[in-house]
Amino acid sequence: MSVVVDSLAFRYPAAGAGLDGVSLDVVPGEFCAVIGPSGCGKSTLLKLIAGFLSPAAGQIRIAGTDMTGVPTRLRNLGIVFQNYALFPHMTALENVAYPLKLRGVGRAERLRRAGQALERTRLSGLADRHPRQLSGGQQQRVALARALVFAPGALLLDEPLSALDAAHRAAMRDEIRAVQREHGIATLHVTHDQEEALSIADKVAVMRDGALLQLASPQELYDRPADRFVAGFVGHANLFDGTVRGPDLVETAIGPLACATGGQPAGTSVTLLARPEAVRTDPPDDAVNRFAGTLVRDRFLGSLRRYDLAVPGGTILGETLSRADIRSVQIPPECLRILPA
Amino acid sequence: MPIVTALYLLYLAAPIALLAIGSVGQSWTNSLLPSGLTAGWYGQLWADASFRRAFTVSLTVCAATCAVTALIGVPLAYAIYGASRRGVRAAARVLFLLPVAAPPLVLGFGFILVFSSDSLPFLGSGWLLVAGHVVSTLPYLMQTLVSDMRHLDLVTLETAAESLGAGFRQRLVGIVIPSLRQSLSSGLIMVAALSIGEFQMSNLIAGFLSRPYPVVLLQAFYGATGFACAGTMLLLLLAVLSALASASAGRGLPSSKGTPS
Amino acid sequence: MSGSPILRLLLAVPGLALLILFFLLPLGAVAWQALAGDAIQRVFAQGDLLAALGNSLLLGLEAGLASVVLGVAVALHLARLPPGRRALLQVVIALPLTFSGLIVAYGFILLLGRAGFATLLLAELGADPAAIAAFLYDRPGLVLAYSYFLTPRVILTLLPVFANFDHRQTEAAESMGASRLRALIDILAPQVAPTVLASFALVTAVAFGAYGTALALVGTQINILPLRLYSLIADAGADFPLAAALSVLLLAVCSFLMAVAEIAAARSEADHHVRT
Repeated sequence: MSVVVDSLAFRYPAAGAGLDGVSLDVVPGEFCAVIGPSGCGKSTLLKLIAGFLSPAAGQIRIAGTDMTGVPTRLRNLGIVFQNYALFPHMTALENVAYPLKLRGVGRAERLRRAGQALERTRLSGLADRHPRQLSGGQQQRVALARALVFAPGALLLDEPLSALDAAHRAAMRDEIRAVQREHGIATLHVTHDQEEALSIADKVAVMRDGALLQLASPQELYDRPADRFVAGFVGHANLFDGTVRGPDLVETAIGPLACATGGQPAGTSVTLLARPEAVRTDPPDDAVNRFAGTLVRDRFLGSLRRYDLAVPGGTILGETLSRADIRSVQIPPECLRILPA
Repeated sequence: MPIVTALYLLYLAAPIALLAIGSVGQSWTNSLLPSGLTAGWYGQLWADASFRRAFTVSLTVCAATCAVTALIGVPLAYAIYGASRRGVRAAARVLFLLPVAAPPLVLGFGFILVFSSDSLPFLGSGWLLVAGHVVSTLPYLMQTLVSDMRHLDLVTLETAAESLGAGFRQRLVGIVIPSLRQSLSSGLIMVAALSIGEFQMSNLIAGFLSRPYPVVLLQAFYGATGFACAGTMLLLLLAVLSALASASAGRGLPSSKGTPS
Repeated sequence: MSGSPILRLLLAVPGLALLILFFLLPLGAVAWQALAGDAIQRVFAQGDLLAALGNSLLLGLEAGLASVVLGVAVALHLARLPPGRRALLQVVIALPLTFSGLIVAYGFILLLGRAGFATLLLAELGADPAAIAAFLYDRPGLVLAYSYFLTPRVILTLLPVFANFDHRQTEAAESMGASRLRALIDILAPQVAPTVLASFALVTAVAFGAYGTALALVGTQINILPLRLYSLIADAGADFPLAAALSVLLLAVCSFLMAVAEIAAARSEADHHVRT
């Protein structure tokens, strides 16, 4: 079943926060991540889809049916909550069996099916434990099994990894994706962690101040961000504000930069984006967009090295594999992207 | 659901409102509300020597109770908090439950049995009354103090002070007492409120001349409505004032589980 | 840890001495009186005393039940209010806790007595004032008056539990297909049940052992255990062994109820340490 969100709007009575005309769709088997800083409306979007809130305008369609006025319990959605919301008075097995109990499945049958679901998440040995006796990762897997055991039409994940430590997060990420693929279910994943979103999703929605800024595949989001906010939020970025001075030339605080301006008329204010891995170290003296400066920060991250080079008028962030001293860099014109200012 | 709360608040307010109205009404017999407005009942209350004496007794007993409870309660709470053994913790739980498990009526009877004997002839003395009030209010203060100590994580604060070179006395004066200021004052005001209103035990063990206010007040119930209302209002005002003072002094305290009545 | 065990014991000495002298000693004396003779057998031989015990148990259970039902309903509502308004209402609701039982008694006489405000109001509507007053000066009236200072205890005990309950649990249940009511019954109720039971036992014990409000409201006319005990004590030259036996009975019932409350509270504490 698919999830379609059409021009959805919502306003909290007290605060100014809310949602303004957000549209997106997730088809069966697709994994869509929604990211943005806190307060951007991503959690509100999830609550609206789940039916915990009612929209002021717009429509939500699940499997083609308009969900306006349909209570949560009839929407047939599997939801994994931020802190899992496992029922503390039930064992892991009882937690997973609970949705089946609600559907009138007989005791023996539902325990068998819940047991199978736990087995798939490699938790069968822990079926009789209560949530407080499980680690964070185990609780997470119980919550996932519980959300999927009744074959819901779509899966909603609300920051499901935020309670885990970094070491478990990456493994859990892959596990969620594998389970989701296996079930072939439309999935909406809300997170504030852009790295998590890029690594797990088929497509990513970036939100800010209640509006959807861009909906695209991770690669496209990274390579062709819609604006400077998206560029800065997704991955690391050098952003230079400037003015178009002529064909393929932009004047910025660190000096003129040659790049493809795409026919923008002179005098237009623009922002130039250069990803740090595109910055080249120690170019020949006659290279275009060459800047000499001094290394002010240098972080060794194992597989790569990220550095800040102070140049007159600003700083250039770069990534390199080289371990040599860096005195000058080049930003190749083909690696510069023009964004609206 | 809001309706239930509204009705409940009405149920709470109605008796109080009637007491307030009755205390300033000239005459109130067999009518919906009293007729005539007067401050005379309060004047009469003030003029009544036995009420005045009882009021003085109540305030004196209350002050003495607060002083003794504080002096005894803070060290005891500190000792209970510091003890890590399960036995002490269990004993402390029992202590907190005592006022309910042993009703004041029974405790008062025990006082009569023990302190009217020839070897301990103290029944009727003001000091015995204070002792009775202290044992019945001490558990409430203890509970407030111990839960605040746990909430503040006093051990960590003290360890930090110790690492900076503070000795036991310096820690007590510089860390323990100041950090308990809030819960101590809130707890003591509660002790004061309970002591002022205490009837069930005082009624049994107070001597004729050391009868506290509530015991004398009961006699007034059989007299004029306005007088009884004025007398009750005085007790009510003291209780409300101390409850509000306790609430504002204890702002930010963890709400203790068992609350007094 | 701060201070040596000996120092800690020294700090506890004044408090312990006071509790021994003014708590254990009096209660010990009561128990000694009761157990020395045949007083306890005499209690069980006296039909009206057994009836008093029965009435008291009934009064305690009725008052306890009424306060818990009312308290749960109010606490459920308060738990959903914004914290500011909740804190304000909490202070108002806590007020009766420090009220002397006498205030409550006289307030209810003014409200529901023979010439009470509500009595006369209802009489206008055709009710019989005598019947209403009879209601107040009997067990139902005591239940009403006792609930006045018992309900706040219930509310203040339950409110933190209700307010801290993770509502995502009921949301989760609803997302799996449970109705609102079903989610409350399946998910909320089992988790708060021990605390509700604990507060029920606590207020029942308070109602069972109290006599102040009853004395002020009905004198010694109603046959309940604390008032019988009070009459025995107040009568000079009375049968102290019998009074002691009644005291022990009172102590036993209240302590039993408190033990129930403690066990239930311990259960709920164990249940509530869910996540770290």
